[in-house]
Amino acid sequence: MSESLISVRHLAKSFGDLEVLRDINVEIKRGEVVCIIGPSGSGKSTFLRCINQLEKPTSGEIIYKGDNILDKNADIRKFREEVGMVFQRFNLFPLKTVLANVTMAPVLTGHMNKAEAKEKALELLAKVGLEKKTEAKPFMLSGGQQQRVAIARALAMEPEALLFDEPTSALDPELVGEVLNVMTELAKEGMTMIVVTHEMDFALDVADHIIFMDEGYVVEEGSPREVLGNPKQERTRAFLSRFLLHSGDGNDSSIKNISEKRNGHEKVCCDNNS
Amino acid sequence: MSFEFLQAIMPMLFRGLQITMMIAIIGILLGFILGAVSGYALSCQNKIARGIANVYVWIIRGTPLVVQALYVYFAVPAIITGITHKKFVLDSVVAGITVITLNAGAFISAIVKGALESVELGQKEAGEALGLTKGQILTHIIIPPAFKAMIPGLFNQFIISVKDTALLSVISVNDITRQTQNYVARTYNTLPAYTACALFYLVLLSILMILQRMVENITKK
Repeated sequence: MSESLISVRHLAKSFGDLEVLRDINVEIKRGEVVCIIGPSGSGKSTFLRCINQLEKPTSGEIIYKGDNILDKNADIRKFREEVGMVFQRFNLFPLKTVLANVTMAPVLTGHMNKAEAKEKALELLAKVGLEKKTEAKPFMLSGGQQQRVAIARALAMEPEALLFDEPTSALDPELVGEVLNVMTELAKEGMTMIVVTHEMDFALDVADHIIFMDEGYVVEEGSPREVLGNPKQERTRAFLSRFLLHSGDGNDSSIKNISEKRNGHEKVCCDNNS
Repeated sequence: MSFEFLQAIMPMLFRGLQITMMIAIIGILLGFILGAVSGYALSCQNKIARGIANVYVWIIRGTPLVVQALYVYFAVPAIITGITHKKFVLDSVVAGITVITLNAGAFISAIVKGALESVELGQKEAGEALGLTKGQILTHIIIPPAFKAMIPGLFNQFIISVKDTALLSVISVNDITRQTQNYVARTYNTLPAYTACALFYLVLLSILMILQRMVENITKK
């Protein structure tokens, strides 16, 4: 777990005069699940999108396997082949079947031939519980199913790491569990994951490392127990308390508070499983 | 309308139909190529490409089709003759196809631009995030849904182009309209001839409109 897969150094991003990210320094270790939390507009999605350069960072370095991928000569497509992304709004290709959505990139990038890609796709769709939907079009699926296809699509490239940009925020509450279950499975298998999320129970359960961002800064980071259970910074405490108000049981321990919420949630997950 | 009258005019109208459809079909196909290129230029980042496409659309939209036809048929050969000092004459059908192509192309460019922009940015980003090249994103992710979105507009432009060919009679293209004028010039049989001409167009366009609806129903699925 000690080897850094991605090192972010002094990363900054501005849109015109608006500074969205300021001096971000983060280490992502191989096999680690990092959850990024923080209020809306804190820069967490922009940070994630800067990692695979869907947004061009203004300055800083992102070191991946020893190379700075922000270098002019760096091969960003190669990096993107190795570090997949799952979007908030799924972004499936609407005219293509589920199977074609998953097989397209491995074939086009020369990663696999058609037969290999199909075999891999069927295996992944079975893994996310959608083996019966291979010939469906995206519009025929629920949001949770679409997001599971999107995860399978990213996995088809056999990535070193996955970026998740609020993967459950666009879902109806009862569909959140099925997506988080798939993500939890991936984490258990040792997939390196960077997850922007508002799901505190997932962060507590699955994350090895939590980053709390606000106003473009990393305000606090550490283990889930440290950041969620015993936040050192006032801003972190304020954010978490606001968040936890929704669970509404008035308990003063954040961890307990979150755990209780999670217990209720797990039932939902199990129901979805069966 | 007597049987003799129909016997005399129908072969002429059908000869005109061949010319009308040939010009409209070739014009819309070439116009689609021109419109696809200029529509892509209109929606791209390159300022020079966008500028050229904008000027083209501006000129076509800003001048009447009849004037364009007269210009291509009479003025352009005069320019070429002036430059080369050799008498240059343009065939009226070639001139007609050129005008319909230029005209359809300008309007199709707006259809193409709209269709390209209707494809959600998220799908393009998904392609980028999977490591696809710009060309792969264009051909595999953007064009398929964009083309589907274009079909109703393209068919509509085809119907407009078929009707536009009637204006080419001013440069003596022997289309349906011109054939009718020729008949009238010979026989002075004005009312029945123009009535037959109008009904002939109405039937032709109705068939195309039914086809349009069928195509739209298929592509909706």
